[in-house]
Amino acid sequence: MHRRRRHHRSLAVGAMLGTVALLAIAPFATAGAATGHRNAAHRPPSHVIPPQNPEGYDAYNSGTPDSSIRIFNKKGQLVVYGDSAVLYYAPQYLQGLPPGEQHSTAALYSLGQALYQANCQACHGPTANGVPFPHKAGQQPRPGSPGGYPDLQVVGPATIDFWIESGRMPATSTQDTQPVRRPARLDHLQAVAIETYLNTNWPVTPYVPVVNLQGADLADGATLFSLNCAACHTITGDGDALANDTFAPSMRDIPATQVAEALRTGPANMPIFTGNLTDQQLRDVVAYVVDKIQHPENPGGAGLGGLGPVGEGFVGLALGVGLLALIGFWIGDRS
Amino acid sequence: MSEATPREPATWSDPHLQPAAKHPDTVEGVIGGLFFAGFVLFALFGAAFWQNWAAWTLGATLGGGMLLIGIGITAWGKYLMPRGPFVEERHELASSPEDVQAMTNALVERGAEPVRRRKLLGGLLAAGMGVFGIVALFPLLRSLGPKPGTTLDTTDWAAGTYLVDAFGRRVNANEIGVGTAMTVFPEGLQDTDRGQGVDQTFLIRAAKVDIQGMQNVPNGFVAYSKVCTHAGCPVGLYERALNLLVCPCHQSMFAVLDSANVVFGPAPRPLPQLPIAMDRKGFLYATGPYPEPIGPGFWERS
Repeated sequence: MHRRRRHHRSLAVGAMLGTVALLAIAPFATAGAATGHRNAAHRPPSHVIPPQNPEGYDAYNSGTPDSSIRIFNKKGQLVVYGDSAVLYYAPQYLQGLPPGEQHSTAALYSLGQALYQANCQACHGPTANGVPFPHKAGQQPRPGSPGGYPDLQVVGPATIDFWIESGRMPATSTQDTQPVRRPARLDHLQAVAIETYLNTNWPVTPYVPVVNLQGADLADGATLFSLNCAACHTITGDGDALANDTFAPSMRDIPATQVAEALRTGPANMPIFTGNLTDQQLRDVVAYVVDKIQHPENPGGAGLGGLGPVGEGFVGLALGVGLLALIGFWIGDRS
Repeated sequence: MSEATPREPATWSDPHLQPAAKHPDTVEGVIGGLFFAGFVLFALFGAAFWQNWAAWTLGATLGGGMLLIGIGITAWGKYLMPRGPFVEERHELASSPEDVQAMTNALVERGAEPVRRRKLLGGLLAAGMGVFGIVALFPLLRSLGPKPGTTLDTTDWAAGTYLVDAFGRRVNANEIGVGTAMTVFPEGLQDTDRGQGVDQTFLIRAAKVDIQGMQNVPNGFVAYSKVCTHAGCPVGLYERALNLLVCPCHQSMFAVLDSANVVFGPAPRPLPQLPIAMDRKGFLYATGPYPEPIGPGFWERS
């Protein structure tokens, strides 16, 4: 924030002059404080071989494996793709797993297999193909209708990661219209293990996105947010009700990776933003969410939950009119 | 009333002229302190503005200063001013019968006719309503704004217009997966008021198998006007699993896989569908304008 040069004259004299001069322009006064917090820089894994076919790859980088960065392991399996804004990791290559153990793919696989059988298999089945949702002949099954369970062979690690790490899976009830975010019942390592187990048996993208928030364009992020997100999640990101007992959840306290996963995979009723958002745009909107939406500046003081005219009107009526009534009584009362 | 006895002139010993406070000197000191604190807050407001302090300090100092001075002024009036009540004598208001008769005689002598009460009131009412009606015409005409021109009937979509996103990039069908939804505009108009208002179109890619009965849905892409047919709000809430488009204003719901037919809410008709096709490289373009006017109904809508 820019501070003007302090004058050596008495502050009080200047303040009195300022009082007179500035009473009229008070409504235009603003104050801004820009704060930034960024994730630690991330780097591609060093234990994999570099891209095998780097020449002339004209990729659009919109969350599909057709990306400008593609890294394969020694067996020729795609383990990382993306670009400088977002890298999509196969689960066993994710970094930041708790240290002290050897997290080889084989160890993760066997841990994931055990966890899958204990937590997921009852509904999604031993081969993870779920139970088809009831649907009319010749039509796609409708995800979310009771009696069916999603086919986990086709959804990809990003989807599995989102649902487990946001606490929605394993589910507490099979009758929920829309599961809600809860404290995760499986920790990060367990989630990665289950993803490794599923992705080893049925490899499919999208992988888990890791967003490099550095260099994000918050203005573009705000434009994309108001265009694509605000319709359902509201312009303050607090969420709102939708049709048929569904709702758009609040965006507070959601880690950047889960915001990116939700955009790329479209949980439940959310549209899938693959192809129409580049990785750079994804980074911009994720940065806007974790920076501005989750840390609103509220220059007027209390944000009142971002509920808009309802909350503000209630406070205005209860406090403002109440206070005015008390003052009115005091003025009108005969002493 | 006419026999009112003249009151004795007020003196300083009159209890009506004493202040209400038991200890006026103390109250005076308190009020003086309030005024002083209020002006100090005004000075702080000036300093806050001058030194670019946080926004809330501006409101707190200015509002606090006004509050303290207001309390001081009110307390001054309540506790230091003479207590009252005061009575001011006055003469009788009604005219005497002699005066009324003299007035009537004078009027009749000059040739004036007695005015009928009902006729006068009726005339006054008519004149008042007439003036009111004339006055009401001005804001009514003024508030209608500019003429809509062709906006109500046509959009800028035409055969061969490419679909672009909000950043002006053409939409390639090969990049967009099933379940994706986006707002598209006619190429070149994505940054204009008209493009964002009238021409905005919602593009959804559905699974092919779901929309077999619909026309103009290349590879499962279906494009509907984003302007609600009820009140013109942007219909931007797409529920992927339910395949519903929901209007945020009045909760109209449109079935995406069924030509945007209304399944709930006040919208009177489906969202118009934009006919689209793919070129050889997979870019989507409109094969014609909207087949019907978009948005809410209006009088001449055919």
